[in-house]
Amino acid sequence: MMKKQKFHIRHLLKAVKYIPLVLWVSFFAVAFGWILLASFSTSREIFSNDLLGSGVHYENYVDVWKYNNVGHYFLNSIICTGIPCVLIILISAPASYTLAKKTFIGRKLTLNAFVVGMSVPQVMVIIPLYCWFVRADLVGHLITLIVLYTAMNVPYTVYFLTAFFSTVPSSLAEAAMMDGCTEWKALWKIMIPMASPGIITVTVFNFMVIWNEYFMALIFANGNDKIRTLSMGLQNIITAMTYTGDWAGLFAAVIIVLMPTLVLYLFLSEKIVSGITGGGVKG
Amino acid sequence: MLVSLGPALACFLIMFAWPLVRTIMMSLHKMPSISSKMSDWEFIGPGNYTELFTNSVFLASLRNVAKIWFVGGVLTLSLALLFAAILASGVKGKRFWRSAIYLPNTVSAVALATMWLQYVFQNKFGLLKQLFTALGMERLARINWTSPEYLFWGMLIASIYSSVGYFMLIFLSGIEGIPQDLYESARLDGAGAWKQFRYITLPLIRNVFRTCLTLWTISSVNYFTMAKMFSSRLNLRTITPVYYLYEKVFGTSDAASVLNVGSGAAVGVLVAVLVLTTHLVMNKILKEEAYEY
Repeated sequence: MMKKQKFHIRHLLKAVKYIPLVLWVSFFAVAFGWILLASFSTSREIFSNDLLGSGVHYENYVDVWKYNNVGHYFLNSIICTGIPCVLIILISAPASYTLAKKTFIGRKLTLNAFVVGMSVPQVMVIIPLYCWFVRADLVGHLITLIVLYTAMNVPYTVYFLTAFFSTVPSSLAEAAMMDGCTEWKALWKIMIPMASPGIITVTVFNFMVIWNEYFMALIFANGNDKIRTLSMGLQNIITAMTYTGDWAGLFAAVIIVLMPTLVLYLFLSEKIVSGITGGGVKG
Repeated sequence: MLVSLGPALACFLIMFAWPLVRTIMMSLHKMPSISSKMSDWEFIGPGNYTELFTNSVFLASLRNVAKIWFVGGVLTLSLALLFAAILASGVKGKRFWRSAIYLPNTVSAVALATMWLQYVFQNKFGLLKQLFTALGMERLARINWTSPEYLFWGMLIASIYSSVGYFMLIFLSGIEGIPQDLYESARLDGAGAWKQFRYITLPLIRNVFRTCLTLWTISSVNYFTMAKMFSSRLNLRTITPVYYLYEKVFGTSDAASVLNVGSGAAVGVLVAVLVLTTHLVMNKILKEEAYEY
């Protein structure tokens, strides 16, 4: 009898472990699911708690895309995220290769410089940067965000890729150089393709960080509707919505902003999660 | 090949090192406008700093950050440790839970804040309102989370929810680094789950804990996005130092009535000093101890 009871308790304990997990995760699932449904309903249905009462309203998305400029903001976000993601690798990969494979005076110092760059709070550099961009008359152009997003993410990327390059064997590249291949060519044709798993992981990180970036976009792109990124646009829609009462449109905009990184995460979550715990921590 | 370091180093020098020095210099001057030339700066020594510590708005922002750091830190790190311990103890679908708990970190903070403000905390059709009404908890259902009284706590709850996953991952990798045979021999000696956690896991993840504490400190000192989303205008209940800097230098509200860019720069320096200090203090308090497995 005693033994049986103990057995039950042990089973119960095993089930109890799942309670916090289920509660925590279902909260987001419910909230996200509700917003998804609300984005296809009318604002009146949202208030009367009758989601999708009159069928599926795709037009919320069409309207918000066209009339609230979301299409335009989306394009800005793509440009401001895509170009830096490429530039960051073009700048960081050769540097990381040199740091990982060469010995030279000041190597340690250079590596430390990038670690410092990674940990400097943005508020510590933002004011002088803003001064320069104002004087160069670049505030109000997309190029400002492209330059900033590129430069801001180089230190972390160099740090991450240096660790990665040191695990890539260089014998193949050395053999190619023996056969008369230049070192640059060996770098682009052999080393970088061999390091591509690391390059992809860090690019996914960079993409997510830049796509979700808020502070710089607020300072450099909020004043001008032409260059607003998606996050800024969403914020504007929220402000506008308090006058128009277009809740359905607001939730459609939320879904549009969430989707790109969410889809990316659905496919790559294993890679991303192991990249965080394995390859250094991004602050 | 050393040439290949050029562009990356240039990024560091132009975008980090030189602005860093400039900010420190600015914090010692009075600057009428953000684009004023260096010759128009008026040197006032530590004046900007002493002014900040008598400024009630800035002091309120420090108090808020202290609350975020302490209350948010205790809750975030305990929840993260709880989830990490559960996942490490062996559950079905561990990968799924791990990814799902981390998920809020990967989506736009603006969209997440909107989710909280316009749905979860909404006082007509909101999630909490409906949940508490359904459970018959009338008093909880009546709470208006976006009212001035509760705004700060609403903001903190939203931040905790999106931070836990990240710290959970760090704790989890720490716990998984502990060799299994330690637990096995403890089990043979008759130690239960709690004793194993208390006497093996906790002491062995001390260094991981320190990393988490440092990272939490950095993120709470830099707290901005949620504060800005939860009150688009300056609000003494939710203001943080970075928000104050933003208003002072880039903002349009009256709180920054006297525009002094130097004072904003001083806030930036103080934030950096806070980060550095906690780093050093953490290293001192939780001294690194090498365990040999």
